[in-house]
Amino acid sequence: MNDASTPAIAFRGVSRSFGGRTVLNNVSFEVAPGEAFCLLGRSGMGKSVTLKLTIGLIQPDAGAICVENDNIVGMDEDGLSRVRSRIGFLFQSAALFDSFSLHDNLAVPLKRLRERKPDEEIETIVQKNLDDVGLGKDGHKMPAELSGGMRKRAGLARALMLSPSILLVDEPVSGLDRVTASEIDDLLLRVRKRDNTAMVIVTHDTREARRVADRVGVLDNGSLIAVGGMDELATNQSALVRALVSEAQ
Amino acid sequence: MGPGEHMRGYLEFIGDIGLFALRAARRVLVPPFEFQMILRQIEVTGWKSLPLVLSSGFALGLVLALHTRTTLVQFGAQAVMPEVQSLAFFNEIGPLLAGLLMAGRVGAGIGAELANMRATEQIDAIEVLSIDSFKMLVIPRIIACSIALPLLSVFMDVMGLAGGYLAERATSDLSVQLYISRAFHSVSWAAFIPPTLKTAIFGAVIGLISSYLGYTTDEGAEGVGRAATNSVVLSSLAIILIDVVLVKAIFFLFPETAI
Repeated sequence: MNDASTPAIAFRGVSRSFGGRTVLNNVSFEVAPGEAFCLLGRSGMGKSVTLKLTIGLIQPDAGAICVENDNIVGMDEDGLSRVRSRIGFLFQSAALFDSFSLHDNLAVPLKRLRERKPDEEIETIVQKNLDDVGLGKDGHKMPAELSGGMRKRAGLARALMLSPSILLVDEPVSGLDRVTASEIDDLLLRVRKRDNTAMVIVTHDTREARRVADRVGVLDNGSLIAVGGMDELATNQSALVRALVSEAQ
Repeated sequence: MGPGEHMRGYLEFIGDIGLFALRAARRVLVPPFEFQMILRQIEVTGWKSLPLVLSSGFALGLVLALHTRTTLVQFGAQAVMPEVQSLAFFNEIGPLLAGLLMAGRVGAGIGAELANMRATEQIDAIEVLSIDSFKMLVIPRIIACSIALPLLSVFMDVMGLAGGYLAERATSDLSVQLYISRAFHSVSWAAFIPPTLKTAIFGAVIGLISSYLGYTTDEGAEGVGRAATNSVVLSSLAIILIDVVLVKAIFFLFPETAI
């Protein structure tokens, strides 16, 4: 189990290349339990790759990735499965299963647990999570019937089904209008306050980073060029960092 | 790209498919058994293919009977038309045509669906929920195709005979009872069971190839169309090639079926 002194997530000298192109180069950072850490940066700078590395969908070429007490690099499928049950992941596209209703999308993780809960309990949890994201009356709908904002909220509800201690969020507000984006941010803040969930949020929306994050990391050309609070980064010596942060002001 | 590189590409592809098949064979016996997903896939691959198979079988039976009758009449052998019709359908036309129709309809569907799931990160989403995506998506599709295709093949046979009767009825007063009696006169179980069961292998091949092409694609939206097209082409080709081997195997194991 994790204690307060163990980081929820720790990257130590992580590198990853794709076809000769280095996407991450010797990246190190830590996220404390209950902390919200935002990764900012331009497109194609390795932000989403960082999330996929964290949950073991991609293995690094070098370095160590620790989730709570477990180094997931080189871990077998059973081990990864155990670690993943403590992590929720909200994909950029929400990645809802097209052929399942919204209700079934949420029920899938619980129905697949090794120690499966009774159906009545599953129903109660699914309904509660749908209510939490404001989709309590939409469980019967198919993903194709949902708007972009509803899909994101549904994806978030599914990511929280196993009550994870860590939540990875990929571009939660991309493609959404300002009002809907603000609603998604409110949901993330509420989840964090209620469950003390550690979060890594990948975004290029600096307003969102300012609102949600405790600390922000800026990725550029495969390197983490700055880490700190938004106000701290506003005086960073890198012009790129200052430019990114100033957008939020 | 030279012929050597082409050949190397083909061999790599066959090797990859072989490894994929081995992975499926190993995983199929490991719990959890995806009974619900298998039933769902049987509905998609079997039940929803039924109208296509029924109409195609009937039309083909009719056309085949019209052609065959013309030839048989020249030799004064029109009385054996029901027998020829049943042997043709039970031995080869039913199983092969059902396989090819399934390769077109179901192969394209599986290839496109899985490739789309890959492109839209749905397969990644399954993995991050601590679910084995291979077991959940690939194994049920292979099993469902293996179960559905023999059943569709039987429906194809029956409709082929029905079409044949309609063609016969248009030119003679042959009763249904006599037509059926003559049709089944020379059909032994050995002439019916092995060709029908070989379609289970056809089904497994369709499920395997199309699942491989969809599940392993990494080309985004562009890969969806490519996976669908290649699933149809390669599944159809594989069925025809495997049929040659299976027919020889059936003749070897059941010599009485070799006319």
